[in-house]
Amino acid sequence: MMAVLEVLSPGLLSTVQDGGRPGWRRYGIPPGGAMDRAAWRTANRMLHNRPDCPVLECLQGARLRVLHETAVATSGAWGALAWTARAGEVIEFPASLAGVWHYLALPGGIVAERFLGSASVCARARIGAALAKGDRLACHGNPSAALPPGVKCRHPIPLEDEFDPIDSLRLWPGPQWDQFDAAAQRGLFGQAWRVSARSDRTGYRLVGAAIAPPAGELVSEPVRVGSIQVPASGQPVITLYDGPTVGGYAKIALIDPADLDRLVQTRPGQSVRFTRMPGCWT
Amino acid sequence: MAAQLTLHPYGPDAWLLRFAEQPGEAAWQAARAISQALEAEPPAHLVEYVPGYTSVLLEFTPGSTSADSPELKALLARLGRQLGQLGEPGPIREIPVVYDGPDLPRVAEHAGLSTRAVAALHAETVYRVALIGFAPGFPYLDGLDPRLHTPRLETPRPWVAAGSVAIGGAHTGIYSIPSPGGWNLIGRTDIPLFDPARARPGQEAAMCWLHMGERVRFVPARSR
Repeated sequence: MMAVLEVLSPGLLSTVQDGGRPGWRRYGIPPGGAMDRAAWRTANRMLHNRPDCPVLECLQGARLRVLHETAVATSGAWGALAWTARAGEVIEFPASLAGVWHYLALPGGIVAERFLGSASVCARARIGAALAKGDRLACHGNPSAALPPGVKCRHPIPLEDEFDPIDSLRLWPGPQWDQFDAAAQRGLFGQAWRVSARSDRTGYRLVGAAIAPPAGELVSEPVRVGSIQVPASGQPVITLYDGPTVGGYAKIALIDPADLDRLVQTRPGQSVRFTRMPGCWT
Repeated sequence: MAAQLTLHPYGPDAWLLRFAEQPGEAAWQAARAISQALEAEPPAHLVEYVPGYTSVLLEFTPGSTSADSPELKALLARLGRQLGQLGEPGPIREIPVVYDGPDLPRVAEHAGLSTRAVAALHAETVYRVALIGFAPGFPYLDGLDPRLHTPRLETPRPWVAAGSVAIGGAHTGIYSIPSPGGWNLIGRTDIPLFDPARARPGQEAAMCWLHMGERVRFVPARSR
């Protein structure tokens, strides 16, 4: 297959991602997959791909050179955009004003090796590898096909001051919710939590007024993606797609899966607030 | 004694099924029995199950299953019947270890023993693989001699090599992939605990060198 893109710089991190590989956590394999699920599907949809095709997931600084004319679609941090990229064109993902993760789809999906049914790279587990300078990407579809009719969207990049402040993320009670004292329970909902720069595909760290975890050691138990864990420091850690499958910290709550995309696109230094998911709190 | 199975909601479409109050031999047997039952006959709509020490996570297809659904009640009843059944003890896997980890002196001081005695004591026990988790192929091993229980490091290391044999609190384990870690490093092994290249269709479990229910003996080896 013909390569259509070359990595000039992977930026902070560039990997191939799809919907991940649920079903293997009993072997310690994290589910993985695109951090912003909606953006991953949008990028594919704009090229009339099957929605679960592998795409490129990039952080700021990633630069790609177009080797062969091809339709491309990007989504995520800078909004949705689709166009026919010309040979020689350089696609660059800058630090976005409105998000963290960028996605790029190619016609028919990016060619990538699969493991346990998924092309998602989990570099820390040596499942695939992050992209490096000089790596080339090919696609399963026909790159020279014109952009499908009707898809010439060029949504403007949302500027920060136009961007809605993030609504509260909805929470379900976590397995240890009842073991937290009233002050900790109030602290979770009663403040804006700043997203720490020490956040990555394994988890996002929040910074705020500390909330005390329950006394005593917790027996290690399975952890779901989106769990808000509270270590001794009282600064919550949210488990994400490449995170540990089992852990020993108390889980005060779980972010509703539908709200995780908004969390992961929250830039370090920006804040999130939490609210109760209706109907699941007694 | 009939153990109680209790269901605890954990967000949408998932429950923690608790099968024991405390970790230990009985909990380990229950976890094995439940896992084998789920493996042999997975219930409808189950996306996956994840065993822990005293609970197993059951995650279903979104919208498929509710707490009061007859299917979930039937599953509970079926798993409850498995609990009394003792499994065959798993095979003993031997793991050569060079006991030269940077935290060996720390563990020795905490135990009031020589480093040599710590290594001997650590290699004396046959451990149970309580579960695989945290990282791909990472075994949580049960049975550590109480004299070797050592608090985790105050500040975790940013990078621990794969193959590091370590003690964290009452647990011992082996780092299966390079990762940050706060356990005390007492030795190292060359055994690749996780290797994606070993997975074959229908035999995916081979990607992990150890599996829940197996047992482990560490064999002191000389540095090469």
